[in-house]
Amino acid sequence: MRRLWLLGLTALTALLLVIGLRGDPHAVDLANRLAVPSSSYLLGTDHLGRDLATRLAWGAVPSFTAVAIVLAAGLGLGTIAGGAMALGPSSIRGAVRWLAETALALPTLVIALVLSAGLGAGAVTVALALIVTSWAPYALTIAALFERIRGEQYWQASLALGSDLPPALRRHMLPNAWPALGALAGADAGRAVILVASLGFLGLSADTGRPEWGAMIHEYRLFLFSDPRLPLAPILACAATSLALHLGLDRTGG
Amino acid sequence: MSPLAAVARTGGRIALSWLLAVAATFLLLRLMPGDPVTIFLANMGVGGGAETAAAYRAQWGLDQGLAAQFARWLAGFVRLDWGLSFETGRPIVEDFAHRVPWSAAIGFGGLGLAVAFGLSLGFFAALTPDGLADRISRAMAVAGQALPAFAVGLLLIWVFGVQLRWIAPFGGGPVERLLLPVLLVALFSTGSIARLVRAGFAEVRQSPYHRTALAKGLSRLAALWRHGRGAATLTLIAGLAPEMAWIVGGTAVAEIVFGVPGLSERVVQAVAHRDYGVLQAYVALIAFWVAVTLQGAGALRRALDPRAA
Repeated sequence: MRRLWLLGLTALTALLLVIGLRGDPHAVDLANRLAVPSSSYLLGTDHLGRDLATRLAWGAVPSFTAVAIVLAAGLGLGTIAGGAMALGPSSIRGAVRWLAETALALPTLVIALVLSAGLGAGAVTVALALIVTSWAPYALTIAALFERIRGEQYWQASLALGSDLPPALRRHMLPNAWPALGALAGADAGRAVILVASLGFLGLSADTGRPEWGAMIHEYRLFLFSDPRLPLAPILACAATSLALHLGLDRTGG
Repeated sequence: MSPLAAVARTGGRIALSWLLAVAATFLLLRLMPGDPVTIFLANMGVGGGAETAAAYRAQWGLDQGLAAQFARWLAGFVRLDWGLSFETGRPIVEDFAHRVPWSAAIGFGGLGLAVAFGLSLGFFAALTPDGLADRISRAMAVAGQALPAFAVGLLLIWVFGVQLRWIAPFGGGPVERLLLPVLLVALFSTGSIARLVRAGFAEVRQSPYHRTALAKGLSRLAALWRHGRGAATLTLIAGLAPEMAWIVGGTAVAEIVFGVPGLSERVVQAVAHRDYGVLQAYVALIAFWVAVTLQGAGALRRALDPRAA
């Protein structure tokens, strides 16, 4: 049931994105400033007469880019580090574990700030900051799973039957790992969306002219009292995306 | 281990992790594109060619090797000589001295409030699983991870400042200005702290001594509180590390949203202007706080829990 809901929600989001991305987020229409929602402007226009729905759709691009990078790199790096922690020689094991436990305590936003001073802010900076701080839980989870599975009979039987390590891992390890990793990935994907928006809100988006949810919230925050629709639209988009990623990838809650 | 040796070991670990974090930042900022002297001269509007640049470079020791530069910075830092801001040309330490109290008040206030809320919420959540407190704490934990703090901050301004008119968000005395930021930071930490506390109490519920206490005739509330608070405190201390890291970021966001003149406002400017000296000093302070809380929590746990020693 929940899966069906999520599927529907994803399809709806994709449809809205495709419709929104066809428009020009920079098209200024000064005759129609602060227009209320209508058939020509689905969510109305902002203080420069730009179409809010189109800007919202374009604002999703940096967020989803960051999510994609974070999930790919976090999972990959976490798996490698977790494997090293469980299977590697004891000298490497200790060092990697120490690194992972240190990385748990790194404040993501501070890392992002330092990185964006040099690299400029943007999806890549956000992703880098998140990767630095988020690989550790994956690694520790995977290492713990390895430890547990090594004692299981089906694992020993599979090795005794002569299967190589990689296929055995894929067959026996991943199905066990997925629920825990999915929960972590959901949290990280959500955090990526929020971090992109936070940096944008702080005025550190890569390109202040390009629509981005955080930058939009910053720009529209002055209209919180007169036209709450303007700041609320990107706030809700950001919160809903993060929440949906969270719940969608987290299978532990059932 | 004698108490003295334990203190020495904790101190050594704090120093080591702080040094590592600071050295890594130093290296990273030096690798970044852009030459500090060029940025400084451009920001100050000082004309002058290669000679002026060379003079500054020599004065700041930038003509020496990386290790020598780091040693020089480190020696300056411990003597509270944190260098000049590239942007304003004024000593960083003076600037920070006015700002640290604001940030510290928000961070410590938020953490304290979150622990107070989280402890009580977590206790009642464990007392009645799937009860009201349990559901509230679960919702708060998910919301704390999935909602953007700055957006919630804007909503707080809207509700308390505009609709209810209880406080004037950007004016008033220190207490009035700190109220909403502290509340925001606490709001985002309460959920996960409550879940930690709940897990600690839930473990005790399964234990034989808890059953004995119930059999003796203690009420469920008294039995769980009297016999569970120790275990819950230990779980909380053990799981608090990621929360400490979050408080740093949360404090930064709260300062910006509510216009509090704390450290973060300065740091965001520093990022935009590539004011590396300010960034380096900020990271050194943050690294110190994280290292102290992390190692302090570890030491506290070892002191309280003989099993962890």
